[in-house]
Amino acid sequence: MNISVIDYGASNLQSVGNALEKLGVSFDVITTPEGLKGTDKVILPGVGAAGSAMQALMARGFAAALPNLTVPILGVCLGLQLFARMSEEDNTTCLGILPGDVKRLRTELKVPHMGWNRVRLLKDSPLTKGIPDGSFFYFVNSYYLPVGEFTTGETIYDVPLTAIAQRGNFYGTQFHPEKSAEWGMKILDNFCRLSR
Amino acid sequence: MLIIPAIDILDGKCVRLTRGEYVTQKIYGDPLKFAKQLESDGARMLHVVDLNGARDGAPANRELIMRICSAVSIPVEVGGGIRKAETARAYLAAEAARVVTGTRAMDDMDFVGELIREFGASRIVVALEIKGGKVAVKGWQSTVHKDYRELARELKARGVTELLFTDVERDGTLTEPNFEVVRELAALGFNVIASGGVSDVQAIRKLRELGAASAIIGKALYEEKMTLGEAEEAARPLSGLAKRIVPCLDVKDGKVVKGISFENLQIVGDPAALGKKYSAEGADELVFLDISASKEGRETMFSVVEQVAKEVFIPFTVGGGISSVEQMRRLLHLGAEKVSINTAAVKDPSLITAGSKAFGSQAIVVAIDAKRVGTGWKVFLRGGSEETQLDAIAWAKEAETRGAGEILLTSMDKDGQKSGYDIELLRRVSEAVRIPVVASGGAGSLEDLKRALTDGSADAALVASLFHYGEYSITDAKEYLAKEGISMRT
Repeated sequence: MNISVIDYGASNLQSVGNALEKLGVSFDVITTPEGLKGTDKVILPGVGAAGSAMQALMARGFAAALPNLTVPILGVCLGLQLFARMSEEDNTTCLGILPGDVKRLRTELKVPHMGWNRVRLLKDSPLTKGIPDGSFFYFVNSYYLPVGEFTTGETIYDVPLTAIAQRGNFYGTQFHPEKSAEWGMKILDNFCRLSR
Repeated sequence: MLIIPAIDILDGKCVRLTRGEYVTQKIYGDPLKFAKQLESDGARMLHVVDLNGARDGAPANRELIMRICSAVSIPVEVGGGIRKAETARAYLAAEAARVVTGTRAMDDMDFVGELIREFGASRIVVALEIKGGKVAVKGWQSTVHKDYRELARELKARGVTELLFTDVERDGTLTEPNFEVVRELAALGFNVIASGGVSDVQAIRKLRELGAASAIIGKALYEEKMTLGEAEEAARPLSGLAKRIVPCLDVKDGKVVKGISFENLQIVGDPAALGKKYSAEGADELVFLDISASKEGRETMFSVVEQVAKEVFIPFTVGGGISSVEQMRRLLHLGAEKVSINTAAVKDPSLITAGSKAFGSQAIVVAIDAKRVGTGWKVFLRGGSEETQLDAIAWAKEAETRGAGEILLTSMDKDGQKSGYDIELLRRVSEAVRIPVVASGGAGSLEDLKRALTDGSADAALVASLFHYGEYSITDAKEYLAKEGISMRT
């Protein structure tokens, strides 16, 4: 099995890489869509702002390639938000894989939403197999995707937000599985074990 | 979620209609007096509707509404009879915080886009009045009935962000709102103002859970089905975030050490191995503090971080001797979640801003060592040996303004004393900033942790010796705190 982790210059890949190594999974870091050929799975990490991330994905040719992927792809944090139609952050047109628009968290609570929060599982997904409903995951986000048709797990931070989403072969988590201890590792392991 | 009490005005009097029918009116009194009363009851916004205007197409109670706007100091949302850009402009130019315009009444949908360009989307509210799933929209010749989803998409394309949703069949009925539509509109990305049938605290709780931005309450308030205070209480934002327990490990020349004073340090082990152990016991986060005195010692921290990141899959912060953006970059790229700066931030506060710009505020922790001096607290540097003239609370605020994402607050008076955290210091700093505050210094019992997280309002408690000497395990601490009703990741 071969996993491709997309490097689009916007994010720190070290933590995701360390987690995959810990799981005993081999992976390649790819910088062009050529790297997607023949891959079994793709991970789209993300730290940073939506505008510059989309620009980088477009400049490197990923923006056109990703929506047509047929293998499983996991978007993490900003990676999940980039699957949406639009993001209020920098007023960015995103990949349009998931309906719905990413919004800024407007709340009296502290922003960013940072720390361990509970995820309520709404639908079965192979990504959350073996994970107890109500488990905690580590979040760092100032923007969020509202709960929609493809939300499989939600988290409450004043408003309900999409914590986990799945649409066909497209998977995403708003939290950082690579920083979410046992259950985060389980999510990554589940993803790596998905069949095509 | 914001609770907005409604004042509906008909012929200069405050009234309530049932299902929007004018024959069903009940009169409740003087609108101006009522507005002032609501403000003193703690309302944070008012929703004022000119019912004559809504019925006849032109404002009839404008003078009165303008008087309300200037009589109260809270924002006022105005609706009723706003069918032309000039009418909206007049209200917005006066003291209305935002105006509400309806689709049924609009002569020209383009005027919404025009107003949004002129005043910004947050001041223009479009009322979506649904009856049997349809919205009446005025067209060129006659009124057409559109599916609300279709119309919502059209409004979105015109830049509308604020939607006032009323299910006409439920308005003033004291039943319950149409939750399903609220959920849908919120999922489409609108800030939904729910109106109609918001009759009890259960409905408010439900609306909050569904992601409504605000709820308008009218009849339920007038008829004392609930008080404004009860409504506000039910609307208070829910955070599922757990409070954090954060073991702190002192690292010297690449090894974890412990000791009462700097002279009697004992090596207790390898940072990655200990980090892994604490993580397995349920630590929510770790702090590695480099206390190396030498340049060589400091250089070993980078390989420590590299090793830790391969073994520890919870967030960890690295602090001690960090004084440049380049050092931050190296540590974060090796896998640290946050970096903590202390002395360097005081010497050059622009470092906070530079770090926050480069890596995001969530990655920048400002550590403050505070000691009571007179009636306040002063910031101390270099492990408490150097006094500054900086007030600790003012410095915490400045750090936040400059881009810090978290404050790690150590009481030098309490540190090592095991007599409890400095609760007053914690509370004062927590009240002064809107970023998380991590309590440090003084934990001697599990009850001390509880007090820091409750009375001290801290978001996290840093613990060193309490865990290192095996008095309590992290599991003991978290079980105790959870039992005491504190939200814990267990």
